[in-house]
Amino acid sequence: MSFWRYVGNRHDQLLADTYQHASAVFQCMVVATLIGVTIGVLTYRSEWAGDLAVTATATLLTIPSLALIGLLIPLTGLGVAPTVTALVLYGLLPIVRNAIVGLRGVDPSLVDAAKGIGMSRLARLFRVELPLAWPPILTGIRVATQMLMGIAAIAAYASGPGLGNEIFRGISSLGSANALNQVLAGTLGIVVLALLFDAAYVLIGRLTIPRGIRA
Amino acid sequence: MTWRGQPRRPPRGERPAGEHEVRGVAFRDLGGLDDPALDHGDRTGGPGGGRPPDDTDAADHSRRLTWPKLTVLPVIVFAVLFATWLWFQGADLDSIARNSIAGGNVWLRLRQHIVLTVVSTFFVLIIAIPLGILLTRRRVRRAAPVVMAVANIGQATPAIGLLALLVIWMGIGMRAALVGIVIYAVLPVLANTMAGLRAIDPTLVEAARGIGMSALGVLGRVELPLAVPLILAGVRTALVLNVGTATLAYFGGGGGLGDLIASGITNQRMSVLVLGSVLTVALALVVDWLASLAEILLRPRGLEGGG
Repeated sequence: MSFWRYVGNRHDQLLADTYQHASAVFQCMVVATLIGVTIGVLTYRSEWAGDLAVTATATLLTIPSLALIGLLIPLTGLGVAPTVTALVLYGLLPIVRNAIVGLRGVDPSLVDAAKGIGMSRLARLFRVELPLAWPPILTGIRVATQMLMGIAAIAAYASGPGLGNEIFRGISSLGSANALNQVLAGTLGIVVLALLFDAAYVLIGRLTIPRGIRA
Repeated sequence: MTWRGQPRRPPRGERPAGEHEVRGVAFRDLGGLDDPALDHGDRTGGPGGGRPPDDTDAADHSRRLTWPKLTVLPVIVFAVLFATWLWFQGADLDSIARNSIAGGNVWLRLRQHIVLTVVSTFFVLIIAIPLGILLTRRRVRRAAPVVMAVANIGQATPAIGLLALLVIWMGIGMRAALVGIVIYAVLPVLANTMAGLRAIDPTLVEAARGIGMSALGVLGRVELPLAVPLILAGVRTALVLNVGTATLAYFGGGGGLGDLIASGITNQRMSVLVLGSVLTVALALVVDWLASLAEILLRPRGLEGGG
């Protein structure tokens, strides 16, 4: 069966898997961004807390995803729970790191000026520091998303949702006529999703980065 | 609300590498929403299925060898391994669990994993670094954006899908797994090498040309020595990435510690699953630690001020 005939025959299943993959990655990214930026905001002012957060995230990133999922299964069981936990954890890492680096990179004289015109701590954070630190944070979000696309595929082995199931179905039926079609459909689906997300981030960057600091 | 925690800053107008100023505003170079070359970390690799994070800071870690750096990680890893071993001794193993670790299977998988990692890293380096040098030469520089575009799409490919395709194409076995691991790690190391060579101060290259050095002399005596930290960072990235991707080699019949994890999951034997996962994590941490020591020890003396 040719690849396109395969896609035509199975488009219901493939679309469902694609939707689940995208929605799992998207939802985990939203959670990871909220938690990651919060951690960044809470730690960047203290030298040791910020450095600890950066070191901890760098260390966690070296852990292979299959091993992390393997360690989560005894705690959470199979299925959606370990997938979501692993995705949020990995998603956090580049965001925390870039948030801290970005927030620390804001020129203190600007923050002083904001203080001088009477802005409160929160106003300074939301109207001066975070907008200036937003481009690196957005880069972190973008890198994290691409990473999660691949990790979500691996999580399918622990009965997670998404296109990884298509790939593992192909692997378990190696040698059968459809193995190539299944693997190809899953892989290409993820590539297309990753590129679409990437394009969306470029657009978000154009819309949300303040005009004054666009490179 | 004290500002004690604020890191020291260079005087205005002089930003460290990776930063620039726009209208007096200190600002991190946005890894470019359009520039894939800057999206790859120089020190941290991504986990098995991922791509490495972008590197936004080059100077947050001191480059000195300190006692905590030498001791903390090995002590933690050793303690975790010892605890796992104790727990495993007391664990109630049934025949299925015993079967999957019988006959020295654990050692076999660990050895396979190390072999996969080391061999693939070797190939990654001998492919990516010369290619990176070639693509920054004047004559072929025009091809670089094309290569980077391909690399960007390649990065979006999930490791497990790439591996499965190679297994279908080349047959089950260690060879397909190795090729997959190498392809997957070549791109970040290549991007890193190119970014580093491009970041070398062009006035240094010009000065070297000006005193009559040949193009090859400039490369060998100026550019490459300046790029050593970067190449070492590439080694580290490749090693860490490859330890992760090697866990997936099992799915292509390539062995490795993925075997313990996968059989733990499919047979629902938590003891095997945890043993495999802990060993993989320990291996990844130790490899990263060794690479970080190498980065510090092998860095040329004159470059200690920064990257």
